[in-house]
Amino acid sequence: MKNILLVAQREFIATVSTKAFIIGLLFMPAMIGTAAIVFPRLLNPRSFKTRGAIVVIDRSERAMRDVKAAFLPERVAERREATARLVLNQAPAAIQQVAGRGSAQMATAALGAAPDVQVIERPATADLQSQKAWLLAPDTTPHLAVIVIQKNAVVSSDRSFGSYDSYVPSNADDRALNEIHLGLQEAIVNARTRERGIDRADVEAIVNVPRMPSITVTRDTERATVRGINQLLPMAFVILMFMGVMTGGQSLLQTTVEEKSSRVMEVLLSALSPLELLTGKMLGQFGVSMIVLGLYIALGGAVLVSFALFGLINPWLLPYLVIFFVLSYLTYGALMVSVGAVVNDMREAQGLMMPLMLLLTFPFWVWFPMSMNPNSAFSVAVSFVPPINSFAMLIRLTSTAPPPWWQVWISIVVGIGGVMAALWFASKVFKIGLLMYGKPPNFATLVRWARQA
Amino acid sequence: MVVSGAVDSTAMADAIRLQNVSKTFGATKAVTDLDLAIPQGALYGFIGPNGAGKTTTIRMIMSILFPDTGSLEVLGHSSALAAKHRIGYLPEERGVYRKMRVGPFLTFMARLKGVPEADIAPRITRGLARVGLADADRKRCEDLSKGTQQKIQFLAAIIHRPDLLILDEPFSGLDPVSARSLREMVLEEHARGATIIFSTHVMSHAEELCDHVVMINKGQKVLDDPVASIRQRYDPRIIEFEPLDPDADLSPLDAVPEVEQVIREGRGCRVVLHEGASAPAVIPRLAISVPPARIEIARPTLEDVFVKTVAAV
Repeated sequence: MKNILLVAQREFIATVSTKAFIIGLLFMPAMIGTAAIVFPRLLNPRSFKTRGAIVVIDRSERAMRDVKAAFLPERVAERREATARLVLNQAPAAIQQVAGRGSAQMATAALGAAPDVQVIERPATADLQSQKAWLLAPDTTPHLAVIVIQKNAVVSSDRSFGSYDSYVPSNADDRALNEIHLGLQEAIVNARTRERGIDRADVEAIVNVPRMPSITVTRDTERATVRGINQLLPMAFVILMFMGVMTGGQSLLQTTVEEKSSRVMEVLLSALSPLELLTGKMLGQFGVSMIVLGLYIALGGAVLVSFALFGLINPWLLPYLVIFFVLSYLTYGALMVSVGAVVNDMREAQGLMMPLMLLLTFPFWVWFPMSMNPNSAFSVAVSFVPPINSFAMLIRLTSTAPPPWWQVWISIVVGIGGVMAALWFASKVFKIGLLMYGKPPNFATLVRWARQA
Repeated sequence: MVVSGAVDSTAMADAIRLQNVSKTFGATKAVTDLDLAIPQGALYGFIGPNGAGKTTTIRMIMSILFPDTGSLEVLGHSSALAAKHRIGYLPEERGVYRKMRVGPFLTFMARLKGVPEADIAPRITRGLARVGLADADRKRCEDLSKGTQQKIQFLAAIIHRPDLLILDEPFSGLDPVSARSLREMVLEEHARGATIIFSTHVMSHAEELCDHVVMINKGQKVLDDPVASIRQRYDPRIIEFEPLDPDADLSPLDAVPEVEQVIREGRGCRVVLHEGASAPAVIPRLAISVPPARIEIARPTLEDVFVKTVAAV
């Protein structure tokens, strides 16, 4: 036992004290921070401004006045503020609170600079081809689009209204087209209601049923429901576990390959049995993985607490996360250390790692359908197939319809069986592979070694 | 073929005992029915060409590999695993943790070998000073030359003052100065009382160091005797002769009845005697035939013995 702990200690210190580990550990939080803060600034949506002219041919001869009004700067500003309010209403309470202090103007500002669209009126009988030529003619004011409001866009005898046709240059920006659509939509609806003698404000008030944030009720508290969490939470847990398993497994692979290639392996085997070495290495890297997992859980928790969203997490999920992480780590770690023991360098390891990587990334492929249908036949079936059962069960546990407890525990028992099989395989292959140099074995040879050892 | 020194089942003071040990890798017989008994305190040379089965035998002694058949005893235990803290091992495939510093590496190895915590630092300091690396404690292993790394590996093998020291090709890759330094340290360990067995394919190394030699070829033991006894047994029939006059006619040597052949070599010649001829008796007659500047019996080297023994198989 003492030797196992010595190996574990060396393995742990040798891994966590490297620059690569420290940089790698900070990489994910730094990436999230970059994505949340720096990246949007770099993209700088505010620097974009819809500016230019549109030609409008109103074949209906009833909407031109409304079109001009819809693109007046003050009307554009009102429309943008309304859009921002709509977005804010769907955001979590904490974000609404933050935005509320600076009113919706903040959110409006985030949408970027207000568009400046000049409307050029053409007669209803204007020749479309000549207008298309205008569209492509160079000018200091960009030519954004040629709009042809259809004849029946405003008045229709059978409620089947027409719309408008738009002609744009090849470099048209989607955001500009969107602004133009919003303006035209408003103008045409205004024209339709006026023609019918209806007050648009009345109609909007009548048809508007805002979707209010629902309240999630738990035994202890009540909180605003956060939409989309049934998809995000399983993904977050899968990523957490993946990071932990990959960090430990990858280190196990690398350190084993390094020990083998630097020929220190046989020196160690003069003082240790292969099983002691294997156990010590796995224990040491387990500590490394727990540091990674613990750090990311703490970071995630801090973010949730700061946005008053910590209540989203069922506390019982954390012990399950740890249990399934341990099962996954031991299974994949054992298989990765076996790969490390039988190859001479990392390049050779790639071929044998491919099937393992496919298995490890499998949860990312099935995350969405499983989180949407956590109790489908497929979801239940993969919950009992090691080594992917740990990830599958975690996705189901964090979904909106968690599985019954007996399924969870059967999955854990199956996982333990998988761990035993992986450790048995690893101990056999490790023992033989450590002192084998030269051409790396294929999968069939590994199986034969496991049977023979 | 002469194979002596067979295992005596009554002997109790053997550090290593192998009985009918065989090991096969696929279709290759690495070791076949090997018997070996190495008494405590001995300095044994384990010699043979590359691929003879030396490393496989040593790995079986160390319980890194296990024999297919036969039995094995190390320091009174049926497996070296039970006595690992009393065994020092310098494998042929040896290395160090490249990124580790010398001090922590030796500390790690000392702890694995069960050295009391209080003794570790003084032993490392003394050991490094002994090999002329007193200032290497904080250096990374990867920054050391191959020869220096080998000294560190040797220190790691003896840091726990083992009762049994097994060295697999310890001199390979060393320059003459480092090889001499290592040879001295091996002799110091022997003087301390450690049983030492080292393998080499360079016969002269074994000849210089060992008091007993085991030869192995194609997985089979072909010789197991004290060096002195080997020399006696392989009684020379060759006399090295250098005439006083470099231009002297050497044909009178052929006329001596016991002489089978005269082989000219440089300024002198090698005189091969007939089977059963006594070299001391022939020397005066040769000296009378041609006045010599130098005349001596050619001592058989282990290499000569090995070639002769293997040729006889």
